[in-house]
Amino acid sequence: MTDQPFSLSRRGIASLALGGAAVALQARSASAQQAAAPASQALVSTEWLAANLRDPKVRIIEVSVNPGLFERGHIPGATNVSWHRDLVETVRRDIASRDQIQNLLRRAGVTEDSTVVLYGDNNNWFAAWGAWVFDIYGVRDVRLLDGGRRKWEAEGRAVSTRPVQPTASNLTLAAAPNLALRARLTDVVPIAQNQAAEVKLLDIRSPDEYSGRIFAPQGFQELAIRAGHIPGAVNVPWGQAVRPDGTFKSVDELRALYAAVGIDGSKPIVVYCRIGERSSHSWFALKRLLGYQNVRQYDGSWTEYGNAVGVPISNPAGTVWGAT
Amino acid sequence: MGWAAAATGVVALAAIWAAVAEDRALVFALVLGAGFGLVLQRSRFCFLCLLRDAVTGGDPRGLLGLLAALAVGTLGYAVVFGAWLPVPLRPGLPPDAHIGPVSWVLVLAGIAFGLGMTLSGSCVSGHLYRLGEGSLRAPVALLGTGIGFVAGLASWPGLYEAGIRDAPVVWLPHHLGYAGSILLTLAVLALLALPLLRRLPAAEAGRTGGLDLGDVLHRVFRARWPAWLGGLAVGAIGTVAYLRTEPLGVTAAIGGWSRQAGAGLGLVPDRLPGLDAFAGCGTAPDAIIGNATFVGAMVAASFVAAGIARQVSFDWPGWRKQGRTLAGGVLLGWGSMTGLGCTVGTLLSGGMAAALSGWVFGLACMATAAVTLRWGWDR
Repeated sequence: MTDQPFSLSRRGIASLALGGAAVALQARSASAQQAAAPASQALVSTEWLAANLRDPKVRIIEVSVNPGLFERGHIPGATNVSWHRDLVETVRRDIASRDQIQNLLRRAGVTEDSTVVLYGDNNNWFAAWGAWVFDIYGVRDVRLLDGGRRKWEAEGRAVSTRPVQPTASNLTLAAAPNLALRARLTDVVPIAQNQAAEVKLLDIRSPDEYSGRIFAPQGFQELAIRAGHIPGAVNVPWGQAVRPDGTFKSVDELRALYAAVGIDGSKPIVVYCRIGERSSHSWFALKRLLGYQNVRQYDGSWTEYGNAVGVPISNPAGTVWGAT
Repeated sequence: MGWAAAATGVVALAAIWAAVAEDRALVFALVLGAGFGLVLQRSRFCFLCLLRDAVTGGDPRGLLGLLAALAVGTLGYAVVFGAWLPVPLRPGLPPDAHIGPVSWVLVLAGIAFGLGMTLSGSCVSGHLYRLGEGSLRAPVALLGTGIGFVAGLASWPGLYEAGIRDAPVVWLPHHLGYAGSILLTLAVLALLALPLLRRLPAAEAGRTGGLDLGDVLHRVFRARWPAWLGGLAVGAIGTVAYLRTEPLGVTAAIGGWSRQAGAGLGLVPDRLPGLDAFAGCGTAPDAIIGNATFVGAMVAASFVAAGIARQVSFDWPGWRKQGRTLAGGVLLGWGSMTGLGCTVGTLLSGGMAAALSGWVFGLACMATAAVTLRWGWDR
């Protein structure tokens, strides 16, 4: 599994564009199972979504990293959400405000009893970011499409280029966000200084980023001027949580995967990556699939921590910034 | 010689197909490129030729064909835009569309490109399809284009700071909506067409009786297609290309390779400020394979088309003229890099997309070429 973030592209577009016909058949046979309930409260399968596309209670939202994917073909009825405009504050570095998310969900026709299904490219990385943000603001029923856009495409399922205009809702989100899902620098530094040893830190970047051999994955500007990881963090690259087709591994496999590095849900967990995108995916596995109680995402992640002045860092590779 | 060229083209198309058969998007680029090459060769849709016919030959039909391409593409793009961005007045640009920054750099790029066309004898797409006709100027001009691209990339950081960073990126539907943008574009095209329509040559004597199969085959495979037909086909191909792959352009692969070569030689900086944030040719390094397939198929199809039409000939133009061809090629490369595309990628794909940048580049380029043609700099 690589950390290649902008990998999809034209092949995906074409398979989306070409895949229509076989698909009507599949959708029809799937609709026979309409009544079937989703297997988990956190994930829906491509079969389930195909059978429930017309259910007005199901609101589908695409969050893809690559621009132009949604426009060239998306799951019928889906609303497009831009990760860099809709899910974050565009001026200060922060997640989108409650009002911003509330307006977004109203426009997408989400009501109190809606099931919100998020999906996207790149293994649902930013779709998982969206799920984390929606959870913070208390959206009642948020799920990911298991396998995301890639699996939907690979199965040749129907796509649409027609814009939809859902009837706007009057959804009102909880007044106070659930900040127990989020860790800040001030939470993380005491952990690194061994003052909060009961908290487990999980770094889900690639081994080379974790060890400090590189500052950022190939193709990215470094953005952090120190390499390495937060002292005490263990490394489980995000890709180990998924199967080759991009779906999440089973709950038992996930439990064993994290237990092997001492993370079993008995202690609070803080998960981080470079900008909080990939770690949303692992956060989803820990919090929503394994159901561990206290799992926070540190969205400042390495681009904040690795630039902070005076904080302890573990850099086993010893890479020196600026040295050639 | 004609059949040898046609056979070469067929073999090349088969080879490209074999190389990309696993990838549906690339197979589509192959089909589209072959169609584009066929249309360009059959209708002699070279921007300099179209202009020269009008400026020095008194025949405006070629330019009318170009206007027809823009009109068809404008309507086709609008259909796609309407589905992708139902409300154009909101911020954000349609994905991938060649809508670039408008600055004095773009004007300079257009002037360089126009001069390059006159000196080298064609535009970039024209040189590409003329490879199939055995042109010995085309390879020299394309070599110059690569050199010019490296020069353009090397000058990009300075130009970006001096003129492009704060330049507006103007998409007409942002300001006028789709209806307003279409009406304005068609009105401008009509205004440009009006004086040309007044200078149409006298109609050929009407033909009596029907066409037999031989006549039809002759018209399709041997005779030059009328420019309006080429224009309509280019507009349609442009729309389909945007819908299914990416906007028409012939310099993205050349630009990508030049960028790699230039960086390898230490001539091009590793980081080119702002460049990849724009949509256009040569701005996204990952577009190389798709564009290379498109351009490769286009050249191969021109071999087939020119071969069947028996329009293949090797004429050595002389060293002096080749020197000018090379210099012209360098200007084509520099102009298409700094203008984020050539007469196809910026003028056509930008114009069809209702980008002001397409019009500014196109007018600067065509005006420069017209003036220098009148001065006889092409001879």
